[in-house]
Amino acid sequence: MSTPDILISLQNTAFFSAIRGGRPGTEWWFPIVETAHVFSLAVVFGSIALVDLRLLGISATRTPMSKLSEEVLPWTWRAWVVAAIFGSMLFISKADTYWNNFETRMKFLFMALAGLNMVVFQLGAYKGVASWDRSTPPAAARLAGGVSLACWILVVVFGRWIGFKT
Amino acid sequence: MVREFGTWLQDTPLSLGLQSTLWFVPVSQSIHILSIAVLFTSAMFINTRLLGFGAGGRSVSDVVATHLPWMWRALAALAITGILQTITEPVRQFITPIYWYKMLLIVVVAVLTARFASQVRAHAAQYDAAATRPASARTFALVSSALWIVIVILGRFIGYVWANYL
Repeated sequence: MSTPDILISLQNTAFFSAIRGGRPGTEWWFPIVETAHVFSLAVVFGSIALVDLRLLGISATRTPMSKLSEEVLPWTWRAWVVAAIFGSMLFISKADTYWNNFETRMKFLFMALAGLNMVVFQLGAYKGVASWDRSTPPAAARLAGGVSLACWILVVVFGRWIGFKT
Repeated sequence: MVREFGTWLQDTPLSLGLQSTLWFVPVSQSIHILSIAVLFTSAMFINTRLLGFGAGGRSVSDVVATHLPWMWRALAALAITGILQTITEPVRQFITPIYWYKMLLIVVVAVLTARFASQVRAHAAQYDAAATRPASARTFALVSSALWIVIVILGRFIGYVWANYL
């Protein structure tokens, strides 16, 4: 499927042309937006890794799971929204390039899988967290932690590879 | 002088071997980014706790004990990948002034962090109670946050400015 017209139209607006450095004096817009994207994605990965490592019984094992989630996940959400805003700016500025790029599609695929895994976990194993809050998480929870960690690592890796291929 | 050291280094067997291993730079940079995420988020959780706007559920000494080991592990991974990346493309790094500023700031923040950590270990109860917590704890949180942010920006911008120094 070729790049949707709406994205092409947005890509060619003055704002998104500036983001990709397509207008005089805008050469530093892309690096700045990209750096902001890197900071926010760092917090997404760093915080979700904390929760996943807890589920895997590797880190913060003294802290009850529910308490850690309560403290950490708001940061994950806030950072994700910020990363998505800056990421969208980067994406739309060169929509035609990214839409057709394999690494970009893989990145979004693994992000979707991470999200799906999170929903399954919240509706499943996490519902009974009171019974394993301070002990070893059940197998389903450990699996969710492992899948989440693997998916987000792949999101970051494919994200970096986009930079090498475009 | 650094340019000569760089050209000498890039002709060594190790450097030539890394240069011809095409997957090395993408893999190393991916590990580098994931480690930045772990380090930056660990620092964020410690520093927000010290500044009073992390979740108050965990004590300062507990937060430090949980996150600091991951900071050091991430820093070790960053050092290893960073050194290998430098050996692969030495001239590019050495001729760029911000590369050296970044290295200097890393040493500074690492020393400050190590000092802070030993003080928290030695006086845990004092750091845990808000009333007795030294004012230097807030200072450390602000200074180390600023340093890490600048370090990440400098690191990213090496890629954008190095060609200007050729």
